[in-house]
Parts: sequence; C-alpha cells; structure tokens
Amino acid sequence: MKVTIKKWTGVATWKWVANDDNCGICRMAFDGCCPDCKLPGDDCPLVWGQCSHCFHMHCIVKWLQSQPVNQQCPMCRQEWKFNNK
Amino acid sequence: MAGMSPSEKRLQKELMSLMKEPPPGVSVDAEIAEQNLLLWIIRMEGVSGTLYEGEQFELQFKFSNKYPFDSPEVTFVGNNIPVHPHVYSNGHICLSILTDDWSPALSVQSVCLSIVSMLSSCKEKKRPPDNAFYVKTCNKNPKKTKWWYHDDSV
Repeated sequence: MKVTIKKWTGVATWKWVANDDNCGICRMAFDGCCPDCKLPGDDCPLVWGQCSHCFHMHCIVKWLQSQPVNQQCPMCRQEWKFNNK
Repeated sequence: MAGMSPSEKRLQKELMSLMKEPPPGVSVDAEIAEQNLLLWIIRMEGVSGTLYEGEQFELQFKFSNKYPFDSPEVTFVGNNIPVHPHVYSNGHICLSILTDDWSPALSVQSVCLSIVSMLSSCKEKKRPPDNAFYVKTCNKNPKKTKWWYHDDSV
C-alpha cells in the first residue's frame, strides 16, 4: 500500500527554560506573562542577571527604574547586571 | 482576575496563599482584605517561650498601587502595641526592610515572619529611647520617617 500525504499541520509547545516556575517580582508563572502583558512569548521575555536570578524583563526593568541608586537583584541583593550571554 | 491592576493581581495571589497556608501564629482578616485589597489587617500571636507569649497583636498593611515596587506601610494597630525597643507606642516599627531594604521579592508573609522574629529575639520589653519625642513629632505615615537603623541585635 502506498500512502500519499496531501497535507499536514505541525503542532508544537514551548516553554521558557528558567530555574524557577514563577517570577519573584509579580509571582506570575514564567510560562505566562507579566501582569502588564496579555500574551506570553517573545513579547514578554525573561532576562537573567549575572547572579543567575531570572525575572520577566518588564518586571525587573520596572524595579530598576524605581531605584535610582544601588540597583540590586530583588532576590539576593547583589548588584544587578544583565547577563547577556 | 480580569480587570485587576498588577498590584491587585499580586495581592490577590498573596491573600490566597496566606489564607491557605498561614505561618504559625499569623492570620489574615480575609473579609477586610477582600473588601479592599489595598488594606489588610493581620493578627499575630506572641510566640510561646518568648517575652510576648500569650499576647495578641494586630498589624495593618497599607499598599499603594505601586506595590510590590513600593513597600507596604506596616504599623501595629489596636489596643495592644508590643512593648519592644523598635516599636513606638503609636505602632510605628523601625525595621529596615519596610523602607530602605525593601525588595519586590519580599511579601506580606516574609514581612510578618521578620516581625515575628524581631519580637521573639527581644531580651527586655522596653520602648525605644526616643519614644515620647518621636510619637509627638512624627508623620502619620512611618514611611515618611528617616529611620536610622543601627541595632541589629533585636
């Protein structure tokens, strides 16, 4: 018997690879989005600090903007530096 | 949770988890908090084996719409204000995580635990040395006070 595929539809799932389930700032799931966004995904990305802690980008940026001096990681209080690797 | 602001969304989550799994001796008045998510009353029992054993305290938490980027305003209220070197008789608390050392990763629960531990490590029940002057001159909002944090032992 010979089968000819006429049409197929691909389905995929995705998830962020983070060392935690929830953002320590907004407490929403990493696989969801920050409370200011509507849809998870590339428009509400995660970012890491050099200390290895991870947050929604929108959440950590809001925190850093509210701290004119001494910008620290909310989890470990080390100086916050984005890990660009 | 549709229609809630980001701060209300986080507070709603915190309220649920505090009602479901409260730390020992801590309970939230859910009725008050559900009426207005930005104002909570928390009951706290003095830990047995400490100077506050058998006492009951009430804490008021006021949140702004910038929470958790902005710390909550936390004061003791009600008719039993703990006698403690960091607690003024008007209920204001000298505790660095409530102002300078606040972090958005802290929560109502972690603030409660810090206060429980601050009370439990107390060796002698007394008011802060500047209590009379402070209470007469301070702003109603303890976050407006420029606190000096100098004593980490209690």
